[in-house]
Amino acid sequence: MHRRSVIKGLGAAALGATASSLPLPGLIRRAHAADTVKIGCLFSSSGTMANIEGRLNYVARMAAEEINAAGGVLGKTVEVVVTDPGSDWPLYAQLGRQLISQEEVASIFGCWTSVSRKSVLPVVEQSDALLYYPLHFEGEENSKNVVYLNSPPSSSVLPAVDYLMSEEGGSAKRFFMLGSDYVWPRTINQQLKGYWGEKGIGADAWREEYVPVGHSNFQTLVNEIRAFADQPGGQPIVVLTVVGNSIPDFFREFVNQGIAAFDVPVLGLDAVEADFEGLDTSELVGHLNCWAYLQNAAGSRNEEFLANWASYVGANDVPFRPDVAIDPMVSTYDGVHLWAMAAEKAGSFDVPAVREASAGLTFACPSGYEISMTAENNYVKRGVFIGSLNETQGYDILWQSEDTPTPVPFSPYMNT
Amino acid sequence: MARRLALLISLICLALPGGAAALDRVAILAEICSEDFRAQQSALESLAGAGADNGREGAVWARAVVEGFEGRDLRCGADGAYIEGPEGLVSAETLARAAPEGDLSAPSVNLRLRATAASAGFVLALFTEDSIEARLRAAGRLDRRREAVSAPVLAAALEIERDPAIAAVIVEIRTSLLLGDPDPARRIEAIGAIATDATLRNRTTIAEALENESDPSVRAAAEAALAEIDRTLAIGKALATLYSGVSYASVLLLAALGLAIIFGLMGVINLAQGELIMVGAYATYFTQELIRIVLPGALDWYLFLAIPVSFGAAALVGIVIEATVIRRLYARPLMTLLATWAISLLLINAVRVGIGTQNLEFHQPAYVSGGFPVIGDFIMTSNRLFAIAIAIAAFFAVLALIRFTTLGINMRAVTQNRAMAGAAGIDTRRTDRLAFGLGSGLAGLAGLALSPLYNVNPTMGTGFIVDSFMVVVLGGVGSLAGAVVAAFGIGQINVAIEPVYGAVAAKVIVLLLVILFIQRRPEGLFAPKGRR
Repeated sequence: MHRRSVIKGLGAAALGATASSLPLPGLIRRAHAADTVKIGCLFSSSGTMANIEGRLNYVARMAAEEINAAGGVLGKTVEVVVTDPGSDWPLYAQLGRQLISQEEVASIFGCWTSVSRKSVLPVVEQSDALLYYPLHFEGEENSKNVVYLNSPPSSSVLPAVDYLMSEEGGSAKRFFMLGSDYVWPRTINQQLKGYWGEKGIGADAWREEYVPVGHSNFQTLVNEIRAFADQPGGQPIVVLTVVGNSIPDFFREFVNQGIAAFDVPVLGLDAVEADFEGLDTSELVGHLNCWAYLQNAAGSRNEEFLANWASYVGANDVPFRPDVAIDPMVSTYDGVHLWAMAAEKAGSFDVPAVREASAGLTFACPSGYEISMTAENNYVKRGVFIGSLNETQGYDILWQSEDTPTPVPFSPYMNT
Repeated sequence: MARRLALLISLICLALPGGAAALDRVAILAEICSEDFRAQQSALESLAGAGADNGREGAVWARAVVEGFEGRDLRCGADGAYIEGPEGLVSAETLARAAPEGDLSAPSVNLRLRATAASAGFVLALFTEDSIEARLRAAGRLDRRREAVSAPVLAAALEIERDPAIAAVIVEIRTSLLLGDPDPARRIEAIGAIATDATLRNRTTIAEALENESDPSVRAAAEAALAEIDRTLAIGKALATLYSGVSYASVLLLAALGLAIIFGLMGVINLAQGELIMVGAYATYFTQELIRIVLPGALDWYLFLAIPVSFGAAALVGIVIEATVIRRLYARPLMTLLATWAISLLLINAVRVGIGTQNLEFHQPAYVSGGFPVIGDFIMTSNRLFAIAIAIAAFFAVLALIRFTTLGINMRAVTQNRAMAGAAGIDTRRTDRLAFGLGSGLAGLAGLALSPLYNVNPTMGTGFIVDSFMVVVLGGVGSLAGAVVAAFGIGQINVAIEPVYGAVAAKVIVLLLVILFIQRRPEGLFAPKGRR
């Protein structure tokens, strides 16, 4: 009991701290309460996830500002309530509940890691709220209370692996899976093995290794990768699902042992531009990642988005780089707009009505694709990009899908 | 020079009967710009042959195109291709300055094409580089990257090569290309040439050839070569494991050395030790930034120039901590536990707020980047070698300091019997402060040595604290030699288990072993003599 009240206190303190940094002072906010509708953000501004997750709060605000500039939703001004779960997974659930019951938000935008999403899930299901989740993830979940803005493996990892197995992508024949030891890497690798099994690729063509979260000494494993790569059987690749600071540590050792991207390309499934801050990427050129958006995506929608972000950062003194945009930022941005469109279409902010109205929505995503939702589930159809790391810590587009593949929530390769 | 060149060119022309048609530059560039994977591939391959067919001028041009393509500086427009150079655009056809009309786009460069382009670049370097070192480097790289290599091109390169060392490398590559030759003697020669470099990759090449081989003499040669390679590989593998263990041990030792003094000799449980490592790493970073501004020429040596800075910065922080907090808590060790934990949080968050959470970018001079092959597949990585060297140097410096200096004698005296040492006229308070400063400074030095290995950010220290205590406790509280043996043991065991049971299990097994050992022998490996 005591502990719970402490956590509550902490949460309230975090809420208070962030609320006071909102552009509108509390008093005015209350006075306008009748004309505003609240949406909540559940992204950590402190703890291990702060560097990458923190920027999503600002993108949500930026999207809300855009909507307000265009007249708001159903005549009401959108107000963003920001919380700080502090990279502490149970606190996501606590603060999520607070957003729903105390702040009475119309929808929540939040979570980066799968474990934080799993923590909030019972809360949003219990009170029939709506959570917009902006990360590509392992799938195997289909809640009516979560809008999965980003792709499950069927429309992100599998197309990327397919490309690498094509002649143009280097005819990959053998696979070294290296991941951090938790649910996301293990599920992804399970599906990959099922997928390869289906394609007639035998178990001798892959190896699977896991390291503890936060592992930093990759000497032995990179030695193993070299030995694996030099064995017969065709072009090897590494499917990397380590997370956080293990990513730069891995690449540093990889380069120092003299492995070039065209000897053994690494498909870094969680690698974003921010992971390479602090690394000299000139020796890493050519390593790959796959997301539903890359900063170099062509088209005026992307130019507009990047320009907006840069000016938003400048105008609001945002502590993140104005010239870096990563996929989860764009997904969050899409999410706020999709929610506003659904509410407008439904003529109400009630969750069941918004959910129903979501079916058939389309939105011109900065990625250049027309993303869409169907009545079938709460997944969003997105495009697929494969990026190739360049000298300036960014990703060039190596390949992108023709259209937006239909997401498959439950992988058929899971139990094969 | 020019005459010699002319002679060489005529030699090549003689070597290739009928002369050679000039490359159709426009057609090749059109193919590269075509976005058709196969056309691009064949264009790059034909460029690789430019040195053999078109003399030096053709080779220079081909190399410019290939390198422009690989470096993604090539641009395609409606009226031809261009290369983005340091002084603006040049025409890819003539390499002269040019102003394009209309929009330019970059052709897609996937991994396959980059590999071919890199290979072609090395081939062409043999024809165009004037410096012997550059040609030798190119020939060495060619050995691993053979996408665009063919026997006639290598023959042409041999014709003009005057340096015997480079010629030998080229001959070897050419010989190894003969593995599919109809003449069995040639195949044996090829096996011999491949086997000179005993790597797993070459072993695979020979083993694959052996599968389709019917000639008994070739089979015998291949089997003998495989056995020889296997022996070398086994040695290389053993050395690689040893090296991994030693380098991991050096990291553990670096992190634990300061703690061996603060906890081992003084008995202070310092949970802020990891943050002192972080302070050292940040001090290294700021030294680098300062040198970048003040003395850009010496930037490569910043790691050495930062040694006193990182030691001094961490020692200063340590002395301040000692003077303000720990001094008051010597009688209450459990309070120090809490107080130093608070200090650790304070330091982390001060850096987070003041500098930011991102990983710092360090300049990587040649002596801490890359590695060099030793034997078989064993590569010695330079950054770890640097850490090993610093660890050894720091250990012996500390050992000498404790053995031979007055401060060392005082420290030992105070450790063994504080009251008696005080009675003998040693200023115990000053000794405590200096010892704490020394222990902190060593942590700072660890931060410097670890900066080429690990991410430097505010929370980097937290990962080291458990390992450091493990090493100190296992080695025997108060024993420096014990810390070395413990670090080495933990390092080796960890590295030996990791390939078999995985990294997660290795951590668990090592911790279990440490627990079992401490239960059997609570005083650690080397029990200190004397009264506590």
